[in-house]
Amino acid sequence: MTPTVGSPASKRDILLVEDNPDDVALTLRALKKNNIANEVVVAKDGAEALDRLLPQGARAGRAELPAIVLLDLKLPKVDGLEVLRRVRADPRTRLLPVVILTSSREEQDIIRGYDLGANSYVRKPVDFTEFVEAVKNLGLYWLVLNEPPPPVET
Amino acid sequence: MTAVDAYSDNAVGDGGPVDAQNYASAILNILDDAAEEKARLTSTERAVLNILDDAAEEKARLTSTERAVLNILDDAAEETARLGQTQLAVLNILDDFDIEKKNVQEVNVQLRSEIAERSRVEVALRDAKSLAETASHELETFSYSVSHDLRGPLRAIDGFSQALSEDNADRLDDQGRQHLKRIRSGVQRMGQLIDDLLKLAGVTRAEMRHEHVDLSALARDVAGELREVEPGRAVEVLVADGLVAEGDPRLLRVAIANLLGNAWKFTRSRETARIELGATDKDGTTAYFVRDNGVGFDMTYAGKLFGAFQRLHSSAEFEGTGIGLATVHRVVARHGGRTWAAGEVDRGATFYFTLAQREELPT
Repeated sequence: MTPTVGSPASKRDILLVEDNPDDVALTLRALKKNNIANEVVVAKDGAEALDRLLPQGARAGRAELPAIVLLDLKLPKVDGLEVLRRVRADPRTRLLPVVILTSSREEQDIIRGYDLGANSYVRKPVDFTEFVEAVKNLGLYWLVLNEPPPPVET
Repeated sequence: MTAVDAYSDNAVGDGGPVDAQNYASAILNILDDAAEEKARLTSTERAVLNILDDAAEEKARLTSTERAVLNILDDAAEETARLGQTQLAVLNILDDFDIEKKNVQEVNVQLRSEIAERSRVEVALRDAKSLAETASHELETFSYSVSHDLRGPLRAIDGFSQALSEDNADRLDDQGRQHLKRIRSGVQRMGQLIDDLLKLAGVTRAEMRHEHVDLSALARDVAGELREVEPGRAVEVLVADGLVAEGDPRLLRVAIANLLGNAWKFTRSRETARIELGATDKDGTTAYFVRDNGVGFDMTYAGKLFGAFQRLHSSAEFEGTGIGLATVHRVVARHGGRTWAAGEVDRGATFYFTLAQREELPT
């Protein structure tokens, strides 16, 4: 695997795993409002997210990992928690920052999420103004403040 | 008859001295015979007397025997009477035994029907339990899906309303902006309702723990939080010391927070609000109460207070979704207690609740 070594988080992609196009549009809007310029890659279900993060066959080891994964939980095909489990099980993505960004604050989801190694759990507020604020904080923390884990040599 | 014969023989003689001699001898013979006869008679008499003596003895023996027999017969009669009584007693016992046997049979029949009934009840219980488990599972699924799916569309409505007011501001007049504002406040309210509904469901779903809970400390903590949210208000909070209960600390906190939160809210118009948490005796059970000097309520509607989505005030007067007291009621019910309230319009309100004693805590 040859990721762009030392590529700062602010230059790397954001992987948004979200099946609801409304939420995708609003998240993109919130990022834009906060002047977060990172490219946003959208995966519309869990399988697509896994395909991007853990590519198999010819593409294996080619992709640069995103700076952060914004992961919804209720997803078609493979749900968010299963995505997280497989991401943590693979040495390539074991340390990848994953933020669960979802509607629910069901205790079982929160516990399972942290249990599987989520770095944060953020509930999407109904109020868009609050959501913009949440995205701003997430961007500031994960793309600027936080030191990302070093790239994995495989 | 010898004497007679001798006389007759001599009578036909000649009648001389010889004849006299013959006569004397004959008479002597006759006397002899008579003496013999007499001796024979005497002996016979003696024999007869002996026989009579014997007969008397025999008679006496017979009498005594007869007496003995009579005695025996008397005894036998008594014995018969006793036997008769014994027989009666035995018959009575047998009768009793029959009754007893019948009773036992009846009891057996009853027992069998009770066992059958019990089996039926057990089956019914199993069915009910399985139904409850299904319902609980459905509630779980329902809550999960409400939590995940119901808020999504609200986010879209809210987000795009705001996008509209920002991106198309030049094409919206004041009224258009007002409409969007109303849409957004409706969305907020819906979001709040969903959250409160989930909280209410959560109270039902939550696993009960049984611990010592310091209600006094808990109430002071909650009051502190309320004060932090509205530091400007003058609220006197009086919490009685040493209120300790058995129950689930998280659920009891939810209940206390709702009751104190209500008191806090409905005393808003008071210059100095007073909120009191204490305990009193209600029919031998400890009843905890939260009393305030707020706007109170009309007792006519007291029955509606603890129902979900029931409100006695408009949202314009006092915000809220009508879930708070329903949640309190649910928490208290899960602790095996009950809730009630007393109040008067503009004269404050008191909300009471009891909790089951430790040994009667439902599991």
